[in-house]
Amino acid sequence: MIPIEYETQRLGLRFFLVMLVLFFFQTVFGLMLATQHVDPTLLAGILNFNVIRSQHTNLAVLWVLSGFIGTILFVGPLLSKRELAAPWLIKFLFYALIAVVIWNVITQVLAQQGIAGWWMGQPLLQEGLEYLEAGRIADVVILIGFGILCYVVLRTFPPRSQWNEIHWGLGLGVVALTAVWIFGMFFVERLDLSEYFRWYVVHYWVEGVWEVIHISLVGFLLVLMFKADVKSVGYAVFWGVSLVWLSGLLGNAHHYFWIGTPEFWQFWGALFSALEPVPLIFCFWHIYLDAHQDGKPLENTPAFSFLLGSVVLEQVGAGILGFTMTFALTNVWSHGTWVTVSHAHLALFGTFGMLGIAAAYYAIPLMRGVSNFDQRLGKLVFWLVFTGMLGLGFAFAIGGTVQVFVYRTLGLDWFGGDVAPAMHFAKVMVPVFGIVFAIGVLLLVYDLLTLGWRVPAEHDSAEIPAPSGWGRRLSSWETGLWLLAMWFFGGLITLGLLSFNLASVQQGNPTLPYVLGGIGYPGLLLTTLLFVWRFLRSLDARRYVRAEPLAAASSLAGAA
Amino acid sequence: MSCAPGQPCAEGMKRRRAMAVLGVMAILFVALSVASFIDSRGQVVPSDVKYANFDAVEGKRVFQSYNCMGCHTIVGNGGYFGPDLTKLYGKVGPAWLEAFLPSAGSWPTKGAVKLQLQNEAVAADAGVADIEAYLEKYPAANERIARRGGHATAMPNLPLTRSEVGRLIAFLKYTSEMNTEGWPPTPKVDGLTSPYAKPVPGAAQAAVSVTKEAVAASAKPVSTIAQGKMLAEENGCTACHATDRERLVGPGWGGIYGAEVQLADGSTVKRDDAYLTQSILDPDARVVAGFEPGVMPSFAEMLDVDQVAAIVAYIRSLEGK
Repeated sequence: MIPIEYETQRLGLRFFLVMLVLFFFQTVFGLMLATQHVDPTLLAGILNFNVIRSQHTNLAVLWVLSGFIGTILFVGPLLSKRELAAPWLIKFLFYALIAVVIWNVITQVLAQQGIAGWWMGQPLLQEGLEYLEAGRIADVVILIGFGILCYVVLRTFPPRSQWNEIHWGLGLGVVALTAVWIFGMFFVERLDLSEYFRWYVVHYWVEGVWEVIHISLVGFLLVLMFKADVKSVGYAVFWGVSLVWLSGLLGNAHHYFWIGTPEFWQFWGALFSALEPVPLIFCFWHIYLDAHQDGKPLENTPAFSFLLGSVVLEQVGAGILGFTMTFALTNVWSHGTWVTVSHAHLALFGTFGMLGIAAAYYAIPLMRGVSNFDQRLGKLVFWLVFTGMLGLGFAFAIGGTVQVFVYRTLGLDWFGGDVAPAMHFAKVMVPVFGIVFAIGVLLLVYDLLTLGWRVPAEHDSAEIPAPSGWGRRLSSWETGLWLLAMWFFGGLITLGLLSFNLASVQQGNPTLPYVLGGIGYPGLLLTTLLFVWRFLRSLDARRYVRAEPLAAASSLAGAA
Repeated sequence: MSCAPGQPCAEGMKRRRAMAVLGVMAILFVALSVASFIDSRGQVVPSDVKYANFDAVEGKRVFQSYNCMGCHTIVGNGGYFGPDLTKLYGKVGPAWLEAFLPSAGSWPTKGAVKLQLQNEAVAADAGVADIEAYLEKYPAANERIARRGGHATAMPNLPLTRSEVGRLIAFLKYTSEMNTEGWPPTPKVDGLTSPYAKPVPGAAQAAVSVTKEAVAASAKPVSTIAQGKMLAEENGCTACHATDRERLVGPGWGGIYGAEVQLADGSTVKRDDAYLTQSILDPDARVVAGFEPGVMPSFAEMLDVDQVAAIVAYIRSLEGK
């Protein structure tokens, strides 16, 4: 393990801790939403669904950003080979973040009374736009916060002539993060134009800026974990960023199919956003290559597990599930249903949430100076959170498929009487997997908060898998086959959504979409689960190589 | 795609080339965007849409203030808890929305929608003044009344004022007129008669059987109090007034008869037959402190003297629990 080289790296710690607290509350709000879906009268009139949902989405954005900031502060000095510029500004940023979180949690409740705080045509307290529910006062504070982050990152970096691709990725990332936010800071009268600009923030953050920051940070964490060559990782980062922007810039058009903008967006959106998985496949491939760079045993399994989970769920949730609904002919059905929710949960938590957690698992032991921490709880947490989220994705996808049929094909719009009863099975599955996920989150928060304070176990008593069978070295061929299997099931899902266009389905026979979705979604998610298991097992088996001669030596000594 | 150590990587050149490609894409995107919002496209804009005296732009502010999008979707975006609102106005019409929005906790009855049609502005906007013609013009309103009328909804009551209701309807009128390129798709089959329409047995039938009971009950001769109870339900009174002390939209009826109450102007009044009759026929005349005038419509055109007396008798019979 590398020691902490620069004192200001430690400033990242407080952002990781805030991330954990917000993540916990976000999960609690999520469970409340799931319960209200099962029983809509629960807390109705006291804490309405829309208020809880805005807390859930806003905290998601804020804790992902906290994770990003923590990670950037941790790697910034390593990238720049000097201390962070203006540490006092970072401390100010920290308190501003806490203030804005508390402020926003309180103001969101005002939506129940219809109070937005209109002043000069702008809603000061809360805005009531999905993902951008924060009012203008919070918006301005957040903009200042982004400005501080930009200043610190750019002042810390070496002169531009010495930038490598990771500097470019992060530098462009933080500047674009700030620039795009400005588009969410105006009240727009026309609904089509207001939705148009809302997606500037939401889409360009997720599929432009965050993904660029994600690629850069994943690249650099791989350099740190596997001593991968900065230059070859940098090249991957360069291609990743270029492809993300090439596909994502016009790919935003897939949000402009039905909001009142012209039909031509259906062509441009489908064409370019169908390319959006390309950089994700590229990133997926690179984590395979880099993890096999030095063939040494993993030092920090939880950190790598979450990093792998991040890249794999980016492939599955954002790449494949995004692809299935990116064509106008599939999107016309999936739009505005739980099918979208499935994609959003896997993509957003998977890609960005897991990166923050991976970085926290990597950085917190270093910051606390713990060289040998007990990794068993971390491994358990990963599997709880990972399977919990895959299960949530499954529940939403199945519920969504039923919803498309009942709501769109049959045209039944009584949510309490027709739609919700039809989706009931899926609606109950959500809190079930939600509880698995929440237990994982609870243990995660406990593990990371107390990491280093507990007495580490003498030995990792878990059996070291033999490097054969399920634990043998993962070849590039096999990885390709796994990826192919994921895309095969993704293809089935796409065909399932397409089949809603068939005359027989439109006449009221849901067999084909139900069968295709019923094979596609569980197939995809189980393949994902097995692949990650296989990948981690093969890395775990690397320890066997070292354990073997030791065991042989001790048995020899016993014989003597 | 990789650059082995020691080889010339020409990073700067490649970076510039990538930026140039990106610049071309950005120009294309901006050009398409400009073409999307030019006037000649003929897309409706909210500043051109009026409902009665209400403005659709103001309606969008109300829509955002209550974070409607947090439960419902609009043009398919938002929460997935309630139905999409984009085309709702065109399907159910203004009178149904006028009846629904002030007391969203319960589904409007036929009487409640009929009452709203007494308002000339509403009738003018709907294009019909007669309730039967209205239900024919807006079959979705008819279906809602038949299947759900008088039942509790999954939506909480919101403290919407009279003008906020009007503005919201103006906004929904605007979104309903928007060209959304064929979304949501039009169903090719009647969901109610399709064998797949009742995926969970009992869910849809329950509503039907309740209606049958109501029909059976109305055929029998009944006491004044029972008649008042029936009228209160049919005309949608109980959507806003609980029969116990609970405040829904208006005051609960339980135990209010004969009690002294303070009015908005500071004076006090006894809730006797005269006061209750006046409150039904001219609700804004003497509003109780803490309630807003203009929320409750007048029932003067809807109910005759005997019917009002029956409802008053029903209120008199209710003990506060």
